[in-house]
Amino acid sequence: MVNLPTNPADILPFIISIITSHTFITLVIFPGLIHLVLASSFLTWYERKLLARIQLRIGPLYAGWPGGILQPIADGVKLIFKEVIVPYKADRTLFTWIPLALVFLGTLPFAVIPFGQNWVIANLDVGLVFVFATTSIFPSMIIIFAWASNSKYPFIGGLRSLFQQVAYEIPMWISALSVVILARSLNLLDIVNAQAKIWFIIPAFLSFIVFFICVMAELERLPFDLPEAEPELVAGWYTEASGVIFMALFLALYLKLYLMSTLVTVLFLGGWWGPAFLPQPVWTILKTMVVATFIIIPRGIYPRIRVDMLIKLGWTRLLIIALGNVFLTLLIVNSGVLSAWGL
Amino acid sequence: MIWAVLILLFTGPLLTLPYLIVFPKRKEDHFRDMPFESGQVPQGEARRRLSMQYYPYVLMFVVFDVVGMFLFAWGISFTRIPIGSSLMVLLFLILLGAPLGYALRLALRRENW
Repeated sequence: MVNLPTNPADILPFIISIITSHTFITLVIFPGLIHLVLASSFLTWYERKLLARIQLRIGPLYAGWPGGILQPIADGVKLIFKEVIVPYKADRTLFTWIPLALVFLGTLPFAVIPFGQNWVIANLDVGLVFVFATTSIFPSMIIIFAWASNSKYPFIGGLRSLFQQVAYEIPMWISALSVVILARSLNLLDIVNAQAKIWFIIPAFLSFIVFFICVMAELERLPFDLPEAEPELVAGWYTEASGVIFMALFLALYLKLYLMSTLVTVLFLGGWWGPAFLPQPVWTILKTMVVATFIIIPRGIYPRIRVDMLIKLGWTRLLIIALGNVFLTLLIVNSGVLSAWGL
Repeated sequence: MIWAVLILLFTGPLLTLPYLIVFPKRKEDHFRDMPFESGQVPQGEARRRLSMQYYPYVLMFVVFDVVGMFLFAWGISFTRIPIGSSLMVLLFLILLGAPLGYALRLALRRENW
Protein backbone atom coordinates (compact mmCIF):
# COMPACT_ATOMS: atom_id res chain seq x y z
CA MET A 1 0.00 0.00 0.00
CA VAL A 2 1.28 3.44 -0.88
CA ASN A 3 1.81 5.93 1.95
CA LEU A 4 0.14 9.18 1.07
CA PRO A 5 2.24 12.25 1.92
CA THR A 6 1.09 14.41 4.82
CA ASN A 7 3.60 17.24 4.53
CA PRO A 8 2.76 19.67 1.65
CA ALA A 9 6.44 19.78 0.68
CA ASP A 10 6.35 16.05 -0.06
CA ILE A 11 3.53 16.22 -2.58
CA LEU A 12 5.64 17.13 -5.61
CA PRO A 13 8.28 14.40 -5.04
CA PHE A 14 5.44 11.97 -4.41
CA ILE A 15 3.82 12.78 -7.72
CA ILE A 16 7.19 12.54 -9.47
CA SER A 17 7.83 9.15 -7.88
CA ILE A 18 4.44 7.94 -9.12
CA ILE A 19 5.01 9.25 -12.65
CA THR A 20 8.47 7.69 -12.90
CA SER A 21 7.35 4.38 -11.42
CA HIS A 22 7.44 1.37 -13.72
CA THR A 23 3.73 0.64 -13.28
CA PHE A 24 2.74 4.14 -14.36
CA ILE A 25 5.06 4.03 -17.37
CA THR A 26 3.77 0.65 -18.52
CA LEU A 27 0.17 1.72 -18.07
CA VAL A 28 0.28 5.15 -19.62
CA ILE A 29 3.32 5.48 -21.83
CA PHE A 30 4.92 2.42 -23.28
CA PRO A 31 2.73 -0.58 -23.81
CA GLY A 32 -0.03 1.64 -22.52
CA LEU A 33 -2.35 4.28 -23.86
CA ILE A 34 -0.01 6.78 -25.53
CA HIS A 35 1.88 4.07 -27.38
CA LEU A 36 -1.35 2.42 -28.55
CA VAL A 37 -2.87 5.63 -29.85
CA LEU A 38 0.37 6.56 -31.62
CA ALA A 39 0.79 3.06 -33.06
CA SER A 40 -2.75 2.80 -34.39
CA SER A 41 -2.67 6.28 -35.92
CA PHE A 42 0.73 5.50 -37.43
CA LEU A 43 -0.75 2.33 -38.93
CA THR A 44 -3.53 4.28 -40.66
CA TRP A 45 -0.93 6.58 -42.22
CA TYR A 46 1.32 3.63 -43.06
CA GLU A 47 -1.47 1.72 -44.75
CA ARG A 48 -2.49 4.69 -46.89
CA LYS A 49 1.09 5.44 -47.88
CA LEU A 50 1.94 1.82 -48.64
CA LEU A 51 -1.17 1.25 -50.75
CA ALA A 52 -0.54 4.50 -52.57
CA ARG A 53 3.00 3.40 -53.38
CA ILE A 54 1.77 0.01 -54.61
CA GLN A 55 -0.73 1.71 -56.90
CA LEU A 56 1.82 4.29 -58.10
CA ARG A 57 0.16 7.14 -56.25
CA ILE A 58 1.74 9.45 -53.68
CA GLY A 59 -0.68 9.18 -50.79
CA PRO A 60 -0.82 11.61 -47.84
CA LEU A 61 1.63 14.40 -48.50
CA TYR A 62 0.95 17.77 -46.94
CA ALA A 63 0.35 17.31 -43.20
CA GLY A 64 3.78 17.18 -41.63
CA TRP A 65 7.17 15.93 -42.67
CA PRO A 66 7.99 13.27 -43.88
CA GLY A 67 5.20 12.36 -46.24
CA GLY A 68 2.22 13.67 -44.32
CA ILE A 69 2.83 11.65 -41.18
CA LEU A 70 0.55 13.97 -39.19
CA GLN A 71 -2.38 13.11 -41.45
CA PRO A 72 -4.04 10.78 -38.85
CA ILE A 73 -4.06 13.60 -36.30
CA ALA A 74 -5.60 15.98 -38.81
CA ASP A 75 -8.20 13.34 -39.63
CA GLY A 76 -8.94 12.82 -35.96
CA VAL A 77 -9.51 16.53 -35.35
CA LYS A 78 -11.70 16.74 -38.42
CA LEU A 79 -13.79 13.73 -37.41
CA ILE A 80 -14.26 14.98 -33.84
CA PHE A 81 -15.76 18.25 -35.09
CA LYS A 82 -17.95 16.63 -37.72
CA GLU A 83 -21.65 16.21 -37.15
CA VAL A 84 -22.82 12.80 -35.97
CA ILE A 85 -25.71 11.69 -38.12
CA VAL A 86 -27.84 8.91 -36.71
CA PRO A 87 -30.24 7.37 -39.23
CA TYR A 88 -33.89 7.60 -38.34
CA LYS A 89 -35.43 4.60 -36.59
CA ALA A 90 -31.91 3.62 -35.59
CA ASP A 91 -31.34 2.45 -32.04
CA ARG A 92 -29.60 5.55 -30.73
CA THR A 93 -28.19 4.04 -27.57
CA LEU A 94 -26.60 1.06 -29.25
CA PHE A 95 -25.51 3.10 -32.25
CA THR A 96 -23.56 5.54 -30.11
CA TRP A 97 -22.17 3.21 -27.46
CA ILE A 98 -21.13 0.14 -29.43
CA PRO A 99 -18.15 1.98 -31.04
CA LEU A 100 -16.94 2.87 -27.56
CA ALA A 101 -17.28 -0.76 -26.50
CA LEU A 102 -15.30 -1.77 -29.59
CA VAL A 103 -12.47 0.60 -28.69
CA PHE A 104 -12.52 -0.80 -25.16
CA LEU A 105 -12.38 -4.36 -26.44
CA GLY A 106 -9.62 -3.49 -28.87
CA THR A 107 -7.49 -1.96 -26.14
CA LEU A 108 -8.13 -4.49 -23.38
CA PRO A 109 -6.03 -7.42 -24.76
CA PHE A 110 -2.91 -5.25 -24.88
CA ALA A 111 -2.72 -5.71 -21.11
CA VAL A 112 -1.30 -9.20 -21.63
CA ILE A 113 0.80 -8.63 -24.77
CA PRO A 114 4.49 -8.57 -23.78
CA PHE A 115 6.66 -6.04 -25.60
CA GLY A 116 9.74 -6.97 -23.56
CA GLN A 117 10.76 -8.94 -20.51
CA ASN A 118 9.47 -6.20 -18.22
CA TRP A 119 7.29 -4.32 -20.69
CA VAL A 120 3.97 -5.98 -20.00
CA ILE A 121 1.03 -4.57 -18.10
CA ALA A 122 -0.45 -7.73 -16.62
CA ASN A 123 1.43 -11.02 -16.46
CA LEU A 124 -1.64 -13.19 -16.82
CA ASP A 125 -1.30 -16.98 -16.74
CA VAL A 126 -4.04 -17.46 -19.33
CA GLY A 127 -2.94 -14.56 -21.52
CA LEU A 128 -3.49 -16.28 -24.85
CA VAL A 129 -7.01 -17.37 -23.91
CA PHE A 130 -7.72 -13.85 -22.68
CA VAL A 131 -6.72 -12.38 -26.03
CA PHE A 132 -8.87 -14.85 -27.93
CA ALA A 133 -11.80 -14.31 -25.57
CA THR A 134 -11.77 -10.54 -25.99
CA THR A 135 -11.32 -10.64 -29.75
CA SER A 136 -14.17 -13.12 -30.14
CA ILE A 137 -16.62 -10.56 -28.72
CA PHE A 138 -15.91 -8.34 -31.74
CA PRO A 139 -18.26 -10.05 -34.23
CA SER A 140 -21.24 -9.91 -31.89
CA MET A 141 -20.60 -6.22 -31.24
CA ILE A 142 -20.39 -5.67 -34.99
CA ILE A 143 -23.70 -7.42 -35.67
CA ILE A 144 -25.35 -5.38 -32.89
CA PHE A 145 -24.00 -2.16 -34.39
CA ALA A 146 -25.12 -3.19 -37.86
CA TRP A 147 -28.60 -4.03 -36.59
CA ALA A 148 -28.81 -0.79 -34.64
CA SER A 149 -28.05 1.41 -37.64
CA ASN A 150 -31.28 0.31 -39.39
CA SER A 151 -29.91 0.35 -42.89
CA LYS A 152 -29.61 -2.44 -45.40
CA TYR A 153 -25.94 -2.28 -46.31
CA PRO A 154 -24.68 -2.36 -42.72
CA PHE A 155 -27.00 -5.22 -41.89
CA ILE A 156 -25.75 -7.40 -44.74
CA GLY A 157 -22.17 -6.42 -43.93
CA GLY A 158 -22.67 -7.24 -40.28
CA LEU A 159 -24.06 -10.68 -41.07
CA ARG A 160 -21.15 -11.38 -43.40
CA SER A 161 -18.72 -10.20 -40.75
CA LEU A 162 -20.35 -12.48 -38.19
CA PHE A 163 -20.12 -15.63 -40.22
CA GLN A 164 -16.67 -14.88 -41.51
CA GLN A 165 -15.21 -14.28 -38.07
CA VAL A 166 -17.02 -17.28 -36.63
CA ALA A 167 -15.66 -19.48 -39.41
CA TYR A 168 -12.07 -18.36 -38.98
CA GLU A 169 -11.90 -18.27 -35.21
CA ILE A 170 -11.78 -22.04 -34.83
CA PRO A 171 -8.78 -22.66 -37.14
CA MET A 172 -7.06 -19.72 -35.46
CA TRP A 173 -7.41 -21.20 -32.00
CA ILE A 174 -6.42 -24.67 -33.11
CA SER A 175 -3.37 -23.42 -34.97
CA ALA A 176 -2.37 -21.46 -31.86
CA LEU A 177 -2.70 -24.73 -29.98
CA SER A 178 0.49 -26.09 -31.54
CA VAL A 179 2.36 -23.09 -30.11
CA VAL A 180 0.84 -23.90 -26.73
CA ILE A 181 2.00 -27.50 -27.09
CA LEU A 182 5.52 -26.36 -27.95
CA ALA A 183 5.74 -23.84 -25.10
CA ARG A 184 3.56 -25.80 -22.64
CA SER A 185 2.11 -22.57 -21.34
CA LEU A 186 -0.69 -20.14 -22.04
CA ASN A 187 1.26 -17.25 -20.53
CA LEU A 188 2.47 -15.06 -23.38
CA LEU A 189 5.67 -14.17 -21.50
CA ASP A 190 6.48 -17.87 -21.13
CA ILE A 191 5.64 -18.44 -24.78
CA VAL A 192 8.14 -15.78 -25.84
CA ASN A 193 10.76 -17.02 -23.39
CA ALA A 194 10.44 -20.52 -24.86
CA GLN A 195 11.50 -19.05 -28.22
CA ALA A 196 14.88 -17.85 -26.97
CA LYS A 197 16.75 -20.39 -29.07
CA ILE A 198 14.39 -21.10 -31.93
CA TRP A 199 11.40 -19.11 -33.14
CA PHE A 200 8.18 -21.11 -33.34
CA ILE A 201 7.79 -20.24 -37.00
CA ILE A 202 10.33 -23.00 -37.74
CA PRO A 203 8.87 -25.99 -35.85
CA ALA A 204 5.29 -24.81 -36.42
CA PHE A 205 5.47 -23.39 -39.92
CA LEU A 206 2.13 -24.83 -41.08
CA SER A 207 0.29 -23.40 -38.14
CA PHE A 208 1.97 -20.04 -38.79
CA ILE A 209 0.50 -20.07 -42.30
CA VAL A 210 -2.96 -21.06 -41.02
CA PHE A 211 -2.80 -18.52 -38.22
CA PHE A 212 -1.75 -15.75 -40.58
CA ILE A 213 -4.59 -16.49 -43.03
CA CYS A 214 -7.07 -16.55 -40.15
CA VAL A 215 -5.72 -13.25 -38.88
CA MET A 216 -6.28 -11.74 -42.32
CA ALA A 217 -9.86 -13.03 -42.27
CA GLU A 218 -10.50 -11.85 -38.73
CA LEU A 219 -9.28 -8.39 -39.64
CA GLU A 220 -11.51 -8.35 -42.73
CA ARG A 221 -8.55 -7.59 -44.94
CA LEU A 222 -8.41 -8.35 -48.61
CA PRO A 223 -8.79 -11.02 -49.97
CA PHE A 224 -11.27 -11.65 -47.16
CA ASP A 225 -12.93 -8.23 -46.97
CA LEU A 226 -16.45 -9.40 -47.77
CA PRO A 227 -17.95 -7.54 -44.80
CA GLU A 228 -16.76 -4.20 -46.13
CA ALA A 229 -16.82 -4.95 -49.87
CA GLU A 230 -16.80 -1.43 -51.26
CA PRO A 231 -18.33 -2.10 -54.69
CA GLU A 232 -21.27 -4.06 -53.26
CA LEU A 233 -21.88 -2.80 -49.76
CA VAL A 234 -20.58 0.81 -49.81
CA ALA A 235 -18.53 0.41 -46.64
CA GLY A 236 -20.06 -2.69 -45.12
CA TRP A 237 -21.14 -2.60 -41.52
CA TYR A 238 -19.96 0.95 -40.84
CA THR A 239 -21.71 2.59 -43.77
CA GLU A 240 -23.86 4.75 -41.49
CA ALA A 241 -21.08 5.72 -39.08
CA SER A 242 -20.09 9.37 -39.19
CA GLY A 243 -18.02 11.79 -37.16
CA VAL A 244 -16.83 10.51 -33.82
CA ILE A 245 -18.56 7.17 -34.26
CA PHE A 246 -16.56 6.55 -37.41
CA MET A 247 -13.38 7.63 -35.65
CA ALA A 248 -14.02 5.22 -32.79
CA LEU A 249 -14.71 2.35 -35.18
CA PHE A 250 -11.59 3.14 -37.17
CA LEU A 251 -9.52 3.31 -33.99
CA ALA A 252 -10.91 -0.04 -32.88
CA LEU A 253 -10.18 -1.64 -36.26
CA TYR A 254 -6.61 -0.42 -36.35
CA LEU A 255 -6.07 -1.38 -32.72
CA LYS A 256 -7.22 -4.85 -33.72
CA LEU A 257 -4.80 -4.84 -36.66
CA TYR A 258 -1.99 -3.88 -34.30
CA LEU A 259 -3.12 -6.45 -31.76
CA MET A 260 -3.16 -9.27 -34.29
CA SER A 261 0.25 -8.26 -35.67
CA THR A 262 1.75 -8.27 -32.18
CA LEU A 263 0.07 -11.60 -31.50
CA VAL A 264 1.65 -13.15 -34.60
CA THR A 265 4.99 -11.69 -33.50
CA VAL A 266 4.65 -13.03 -29.98
CA LEU A 267 3.44 -16.47 -30.94
CA PHE A 268 5.58 -17.23 -33.96
CA LEU A 269 8.31 -14.66 -34.55
CA GLY A 270 10.02 -14.82 -31.20
CA GLY A 271 8.62 -11.65 -29.66
CA TRP A 272 11.46 -9.49 -28.39
CA TRP A 273 14.29 -11.92 -29.21
CA GLY A 274 16.88 -10.56 -31.57
CA PRO A 275 20.49 -9.34 -31.58
CA ALA A 276 21.13 -7.32 -28.45
CA PHE A 277 22.19 -4.04 -30.06
CA LEU A 278 18.57 -2.90 -30.04
CA PRO A 279 16.40 -2.90 -26.89
CA GLN A 280 13.68 -5.52 -26.57
CA PRO A 281 10.59 -3.37 -27.27
CA VAL A 282 12.19 -2.07 -30.46
CA TRP A 283 12.56 -5.63 -31.75
CA THR A 284 8.94 -6.41 -30.94
CA ILE A 285 7.70 -3.28 -32.69
CA LEU A 286 9.94 -3.84 -35.72
CA LYS A 287 8.67 -7.38 -36.19
CA THR A 288 5.12 -6.21 -35.62
CA MET A 289 5.51 -3.62 -38.37
CA VAL A 290 6.85 -6.28 -40.73
CA VAL A 291 3.83 -8.48 -39.99
CA ALA A 292 1.49 -5.50 -40.42
CA THR A 293 3.11 -4.77 -43.77
CA PHE A 294 2.42 -8.31 -44.93
CA ILE A 295 -1.18 -7.98 -43.74
CA ILE A 296 -1.65 -4.67 -45.56
CA ILE A 297 0.08 -5.42 -48.87
CA PRO A 298 -2.57 -7.88 -50.24
CA ARG A 299 -5.09 -5.04 -50.10
CA GLY A 300 -3.26 -3.43 -52.98
CA ILE A 301 -2.83 -6.62 -54.94
CA TYR A 302 -5.54 -9.23 -54.61
CA PRO A 303 -9.20 -9.37 -55.64
CA ARG A 304 -11.89 -10.46 -53.20
CA ILE A 305 -12.88 -14.11 -52.92
CA ARG A 306 -16.45 -15.40 -53.15
CA VAL A 307 -18.56 -16.14 -50.08
CA ASP A 308 -18.81 -19.88 -50.60
CA MET A 309 -15.06 -20.08 -51.35
CA LEU A 310 -14.37 -18.21 -48.13
CA ILE A 311 -16.48 -20.54 -46.05
CA LYS A 312 -15.09 -23.61 -47.78
CA LEU A 313 -11.51 -22.48 -47.22
CA GLY A 314 -12.12 -21.72 -43.56
CA TRP A 315 -14.13 -24.75 -42.58
CA THR A 316 -12.45 -27.44 -44.62
CA ARG A 317 -8.86 -26.69 -45.60
CA LEU A 318 -7.75 -24.52 -42.71
CA LEU A 319 -9.57 -26.49 -40.02
CA ILE A 320 -8.24 -29.81 -41.28
CA ILE A 321 -4.71 -28.47 -41.69
CA ALA A 322 -4.86 -27.00 -38.20
CA LEU A 323 -6.13 -30.23 -36.66
CA GLY A 324 -3.56 -32.28 -38.53
CA ASN A 325 -0.93 -29.87 -37.40
CA VAL A 326 -1.73 -30.63 -33.77
CA PHE A 327 -0.79 -34.26 -34.45
CA LEU A 328 2.33 -33.19 -36.30
CA THR A 329 3.47 -30.91 -33.49
CA LEU A 330 2.82 -33.65 -30.98
CA LEU A 331 4.97 -36.03 -33.04
CA ILE A 332 7.74 -33.44 -33.30
CA VAL A 333 7.70 -32.72 -29.59
CA ASN A 334 7.60 -36.39 -28.58
CA SER A 335 10.31 -37.44 -31.03
CA GLY A 336 12.78 -35.18 -29.21
CA VAL A 337 14.03 -33.47 -32.35
CA LEU A 338 13.68 -30.12 -30.64
CA SER A 339 15.45 -31.09 -27.43
CA ALA A 340 18.58 -29.33 -28.69
CA TRP A 341 16.66 -26.07 -28.46
CA GLY A 342 15.20 -26.86 -25.05
CA LEU A 343 11.64 -27.57 -26.17
CA MET B 1 -8.03 -4.54 -13.86
CA ILE B 2 -6.35 -1.15 -13.49
CA TRP B 3 -5.83 -1.25 -17.23
CA ALA B 4 -9.55 -1.70 -17.92
CA VAL B 5 -10.47 1.20 -15.64
CA LEU B 6 -7.78 3.35 -17.21
CA ILE B 7 -8.99 2.70 -20.75
CA LEU B 8 -12.51 3.66 -19.72
CA LEU B 9 -11.24 6.78 -18.00
CA PHE B 10 -9.28 7.95 -21.04
CA THR B 11 -11.25 6.82 -24.06
CA GLY B 12 -14.65 7.35 -22.49
CA PRO B 13 -14.54 11.15 -22.18
CA LEU B 14 -12.56 11.52 -25.38
CA LEU B 15 -15.23 9.79 -27.43
CA THR B 16 -18.35 10.76 -25.50
CA LEU B 17 -17.75 14.52 -25.23
CA PRO B 18 -18.50 15.10 -28.93
CA TYR B 19 -21.77 13.18 -28.53
CA LEU B 20 -22.74 15.42 -25.66
CA ILE B 21 -21.78 18.55 -27.60
CA VAL B 22 -23.49 17.52 -30.79
CA PHE B 23 -26.65 15.76 -29.70
CA PRO B 24 -28.58 18.43 -27.79
CA LYS B 25 -28.44 20.81 -30.74
CA ARG B 26 -29.99 18.32 -33.12
CA LYS B 27 -33.35 18.82 -34.74
CA GLU B 28 -35.20 16.05 -36.51
CA ASP B 29 -34.37 16.23 -40.19
CA HIS B 30 -35.91 13.44 -42.15
CA PHE B 31 -33.82 13.91 -45.26
CA ARG B 32 -30.51 14.20 -43.50
CA ASP B 33 -31.18 11.23 -41.25
CA MET B 34 -32.14 8.93 -44.08
CA PRO B 35 -30.19 5.68 -44.21
CA PHE B 36 -27.68 5.63 -47.03
CA GLU B 37 -28.92 3.74 -50.04
CA SER B 38 -26.84 5.14 -52.90
CA GLY B 39 -29.14 8.11 -53.38
CA GLN B 40 -32.39 6.17 -53.47
CA VAL B 41 -35.17 6.64 -50.98
CA PRO B 42 -35.02 3.56 -48.74
CA GLN B 43 -38.00 1.30 -49.01
CA GLY B 44 -39.14 -1.34 -46.57
CA GLU B 45 -37.59 -2.48 -43.37
CA ALA B 46 -33.87 -2.96 -42.98
CA ARG B 47 -34.26 -5.29 -40.03
CA ARG B 48 -35.77 -8.12 -41.95
CA ARG B 49 -34.95 -11.79 -41.88
CA LEU B 50 -32.17 -12.70 -44.25
CA SER B 51 -31.64 -16.32 -45.09
CA MET B 52 -27.97 -17.11 -44.66
CA GLN B 53 -28.09 -20.93 -44.50
CA TYR B 54 -25.58 -20.82 -41.75
CA TYR B 55 -27.18 -23.25 -39.35
CA PRO B 56 -24.80 -26.23 -39.88
CA TYR B 57 -21.84 -23.95 -39.45
CA VAL B 58 -23.24 -22.58 -36.21
CA LEU B 59 -23.64 -26.12 -34.92
CA MET B 60 -20.06 -26.91 -35.92
CA PHE B 61 -18.92 -23.72 -34.23
CA VAL B 62 -20.59 -24.74 -30.99
CA VAL B 63 -18.94 -28.15 -31.15
CA PHE B 64 -15.46 -26.91 -32.01
CA ASP B 65 -15.65 -24.08 -29.53
CA VAL B 66 -15.91 -26.56 -26.68
CA VAL B 67 -13.40 -28.91 -28.28
CA GLY B 68 -10.96 -26.03 -28.60
CA MET B 69 -11.37 -25.19 -24.93
CA PHE B 70 -10.56 -28.75 -23.88
CA LEU B 71 -7.70 -28.93 -26.36
CA PHE B 72 -6.08 -25.87 -24.80
CA ALA B 73 -6.39 -27.40 -21.36
CA TRP B 74 -4.85 -30.60 -22.72
CA GLY B 75 -2.14 -28.79 -24.68
CA ILE B 76 -0.50 -27.20 -21.66
CA SER B 77 -0.60 -30.37 -19.57
CA PHE B 78 0.01 -33.25 -21.96
CA THR B 79 3.51 -33.94 -20.64
CA ARG B 80 2.23 -34.33 -17.10
CA ILE B 81 -0.62 -36.74 -17.83
CA PRO B 82 -0.14 -40.41 -18.81
CA ILE B 83 0.34 -41.09 -22.52
CA GLY B 84 -2.87 -43.13 -22.61
CA SER B 85 -4.94 -40.03 -21.89
CA SER B 86 -3.22 -38.14 -24.67
CA LEU B 87 -4.01 -40.99 -27.02
CA MET B 88 -7.64 -40.80 -25.95
CA VAL B 89 -7.71 -37.11 -26.86
CA LEU B 90 -6.25 -37.87 -30.27
CA LEU B 91 -8.73 -40.73 -30.73
CA PHE B 92 -11.53 -38.32 -29.90
CA LEU B 93 -10.24 -35.89 -32.53
CA ILE B 94 -10.13 -38.67 -35.12
CA LEU B 95 -13.67 -39.73 -34.20
CA LEU B 96 -14.75 -36.13 -34.60
CA GLY B 97 -13.55 -36.27 -38.19
CA ALA B 98 -16.47 -38.38 -39.41
CA PRO B 99 -19.29 -36.06 -38.24
CA LEU B 100 -17.21 -33.09 -39.38
CA GLY B 101 -16.98 -34.58 -42.86
CA TYR B 102 -20.72 -35.27 -42.94
CA ALA B 103 -21.60 -31.78 -41.73
CA LEU B 104 -19.28 -30.20 -44.25
CA ARG B 105 -20.78 -32.29 -47.03
CA LEU B 106 -24.20 -31.00 -46.07
CA ALA B 107 -23.09 -27.44 -45.58
CA LEU B 108 -20.93 -27.02 -48.64
CA ARG B 109 -23.66 -27.86 -51.17
CA ARG B 110 -23.68 -25.03 -53.63
CA GLU B 111 -27.47 -25.04 -54.04
CA ASN B 112 -27.80 -24.07 -50.38
CA TRP B 113 -26.01 -20.79 -50.99
